[in-house]
Amino acid sequence: MSNDDETPKADGGTASQSETVEDGRSEEHPLEWDEPENNDKAPDERDSVSHRTEKYDDRKLVTGQAKYTADYEERYPDLAYAAVVRSDIPHGHVTDIDTSAAEAMDGVDAVLTPESDAVPDTKYTSAGQSYPEPSPWDMHVLNKHVRYIGDPIAAVAAEDRATATAAVEAIEVSYEEYDYVTDPEDAFDEDAPQLFEGSEVENEIVGHDYDCNRMAHIGGELGDVDAALDGHTHVHETEWETIRQSHANVEKHTSLAYTNEDDRHVLITSTQVPNHTRRQLAHLFDIPIRDIRVTKPRVGGGFGGKQAMVVEPIPLALSLATDRPVLYEASREEEFYAMRSRHPMKVKARTAVTDDGDIEAIDIYALSNTGAYGSHGMTVAGNVGSKPMPLYSKVPNARFEADIVHTNTPQTGAMRGYGAPQGTLALEGHLDEVARDLGLDPIEFRRRHHMEVGDLDEIAGMMGGEGANRRIRSCGLDECIERGKDAIGYDDLEQPDEDHLHRGIGMALSAQGTGVAGDELGAAQIMMNEDGSFHLQVGGVDIGTGADTAFLQIAAEVLGCDEDDIIVKSSDTDVTPFDYGAYASSTTYISGMAVKKAAEDAKARILDWGAKLLDEPVGDLETGDGTVYSETSGDSVTLEDIGYEAAYGDDEREHILGKGTHCTEESPPPFAAQFADVTVDETTGEFEVHKLVVAVDCGVAINPGMAEGQIEGANHMSYEMAVSDGITLDEKGRAEVADFDEYGLPSATETPPIESILVETHEPTGPFGAKSVAEVPTNTVPPALSNAVRDAVGVRIREMPITAEKIKTKLDERET
Amino acid sequence: MPKTGGNAVDIELTINGERTTVEAGSADDLATVLRQHGYIGVKCGCDGGTCGASKVFIDGEVRMACGMAATDADGSEIRTVAALGTQADLHPVQQAFVDNFAVQCGFCIPGMVIQAVALLDSNPDPTEQEVREALDDNVCRCTGYQKPVEAVLDAAGRMQGEQSVAADGGRPVTVPPHGDESTSCCGGGCDE
Repeated sequence: MSNDDETPKADGGTASQSETVEDGRSEEHPLEWDEPENNDKAPDERDSVSHRTEKYDDRKLVTGQAKYTADYEERYPDLAYAAVVRSDIPHGHVTDIDTSAAEAMDGVDAVLTPESDAVPDTKYTSAGQSYPEPSPWDMHVLNKHVRYIGDPIAAVAAEDRATATAAVEAIEVSYEEYDYVTDPEDAFDEDAPQLFEGSEVENEIVGHDYDCNRMAHIGGELGDVDAALDGHTHVHETEWETIRQSHANVEKHTSLAYTNEDDRHVLITSTQVPNHTRRQLAHLFDIPIRDIRVTKPRVGGGFGGKQAMVVEPIPLALSLATDRPVLYEASREEEFYAMRSRHPMKVKARTAVTDDGDIEAIDIYALSNTGAYGSHGMTVAGNVGSKPMPLYSKVPNARFEADIVHTNTPQTGAMRGYGAPQGTLALEGHLDEVARDLGLDPIEFRRRHHMEVGDLDEIAGMMGGEGANRRIRSCGLDECIERGKDAIGYDDLEQPDEDHLHRGIGMALSAQGTGVAGDELGAAQIMMNEDGSFHLQVGGVDIGTGADTAFLQIAAEVLGCDEDDIIVKSSDTDVTPFDYGAYASSTTYISGMAVKKAAEDAKARILDWGAKLLDEPVGDLETGDGTVYSETSGDSVTLEDIGYEAAYGDDEREHILGKGTHCTEESPPPFAAQFADVTVDETTGEFEVHKLVVAVDCGVAINPGMAEGQIEGANHMSYEMAVSDGITLDEKGRAEVADFDEYGLPSATETPPIESILVETHEPTGPFGAKSVAEVPTNTVPPALSNAVRDAVGVRIREMPITAEKIKTKLDERET
Repeated sequence: MPKTGGNAVDIELTINGERTTVEAGSADDLATVLRQHGYIGVKCGCDGGTCGASKVFIDGEVRMACGMAATDADGSEIRTVAALGTQADLHPVQQAFVDNFAVQCGFCIPGMVIQAVALLDSNPDPTEQEVREALDDNVCRCTGYQKPVEAVLDAAGRMQGEQSVAADGGRPVTVPPHGDESTSCCGGGCDE
């Protein structure tokens, strides 16, 4: 569970690139990949990879014994509890913070305001991205200039939660109120209230114009889109709108900070990015990176929301001020109004199509509402184009542009799919509409144009990403479409008996990436114990995804041992090797490849010791079943014997250690074909979704059971985007949702059955052929359901969510 | 010392078969008190009574422990997820959740397991729709409910088998691969 984070570097991508790309880049991106022989294993050769291995932490999880951050409470008898005073107005300046009543309360240990010594005044972004950060530094830990209902102003530490909450309520904040703006189109007006003076922001993003609340403008073009649009009769334009979706991670943002006996500033925290969090805290608090230790225990879901360093500075500042451990656990209400959400967007799609049904040009424009601050604003918007458009990389003319605009509304950020859901709705809904308008079968229309093995994807490159062009070396789209059609019953759909009920099927395709191309790093270390078991220390972050289990399976496949003989440690910045963290669908591909390399490094040493003990050449030896065995003599020696000999042998000794580090320019797309089966009542507009089917090509699934779980969970999140309101705001930008019972997360009865299909391909750049899985099925239900409703009753819903009222209105409009 | 909210009073509880007297503040919910006494399988995901992660049995009925005042539980008998199975010998429902990959982050799972056990106690052979209805107020963000529903249906089959053939959760009992607290990837506090 993660999010994508590709970084278009600027707004300067131009058409001229495409003229030089074709030849030069072909050599840079050869189809042939220099793949190690052991990376491509037939199914029957796999001992651990692609088995349904039991998830590493499951027994602890189902018995309630696993520890999440809040479960460390009991270890710290002098723990204090934090709570935060947040802005109650959408825009203004704090003129006074009266803390006297709070400070006089029994059990209140500290009250911090923007003026307090322990509170950094440094500007930063909470984004949790790599360095240099592609998000503007426009935030403060505590604020005097507040820009949305939810901006943090003061923080309290108290003996218990109830006292902390009471103290927050006792703090009186006075404001000078400013005009505010909550609609992104209104915010673009030069007379609109302005959220930032340009001078208030550091690390600004190219294309910014704070006079009209524009945080960034990005874009790029291949070929000549305007000429193509002028030259063809079939030009279609459609506009789409998406919801403000909450991550709704069931474990709230939680962070515990203290300074230990070795003067280490320790954070036990529910994060996707321990190393980025450490770096960001060092920047904020002016503490050397080495003096901060960030550890993550079990994490109760992230989905991008815990890539952001949303809460960590608060308990750290309070802990420094009080010299006590401090726990901050956000409330569920804060989760909805003061953490992060998916960027709501309006996306326009235009195409030019020839009389023969060939797409000559695709043109996409997105207006993204980044809310009060700009974290992930530019990069998420970039992915609106750079993820879905490569599906049609054969189209000769392509353009993408986006404006990212501030409003006085809650903060947005990274969220699973990372711009791709918004772009996929627009493009896949649009192409469906075009096909139906031209009398073409929507699926066959896609088939004629979609990406194939051997294609060169230049879309990311067109937006200025250096070397971001990709050669496609694995693509199972055709099989995804075929198997999805079969599973949904596309060819023998039965219509209901009742005349007013109409059944339809919609399809949408999607592509994502696997890690941020050229901007990832993962590392791992494997230590062998004398009994032949191993410790795997890896920076890759399991946030509930099963990454630890995938790492185990990869290591066990190389080492030839049982998964039970490996202990995984992830992740703790004092102990585990460096890693960018869990985002951009990178963990199995990047961190997993680091694990594979570490295991191979250790294996080389193990084989050396095996050669010595068996007195046979290394070249004849292999690992398997917990032994090193000779492929010529059949003799073997156990890993335990090797472990003891290496540790305690008579003449020479060695601690068998393997290390691996991995970075790459590659980011192969996984693919999905989504199908939705719906029946619509034409008298009321009410609809029932009978089934969702999604077939995914994620290369070789390291653990098919876990991969299916990722797909089904992603599809549920995607379904929510199609049918739920998300976080609705009132006129002042105040979230109207405070708890789960007010948020439209589809429940068990409200969620249709989801059938996940794994279509195996082999991605030569990934560990044992793997590429990513967790994001691509997040993108596809809104367009598939919009297309299904169109198929059933002939009307088109472009503004999410799809509701009975909207369908009924469209049906009524059609009749008149 | 447990930290209480509001004026503290002593309440009598029987937790997982053990009678105990605990201190509870007038403002404390039952989930907070149970967690303070080490029952960390009682999870808190919402601001009270909406996500289902804190479900426990109270006098045999499934309740969200976060949604009730601790003092209201005085004298009651409570069963948490910790009473169901151990890592080495899981309850059939827990085993079915593991075997069906119904667990991702796991935060909602104790509450879901409690609810599933209650369902199968009263309805040993539920339909898929009945399982979905039972889990309807258990919020899960990770799984889309597909595999949890499959797990509960699978557990029903296992438990029906259990009535005729003594068995555990349907799989041979094995030593948990990584069951020892000292080897957990706790992430936090390893310098303790």
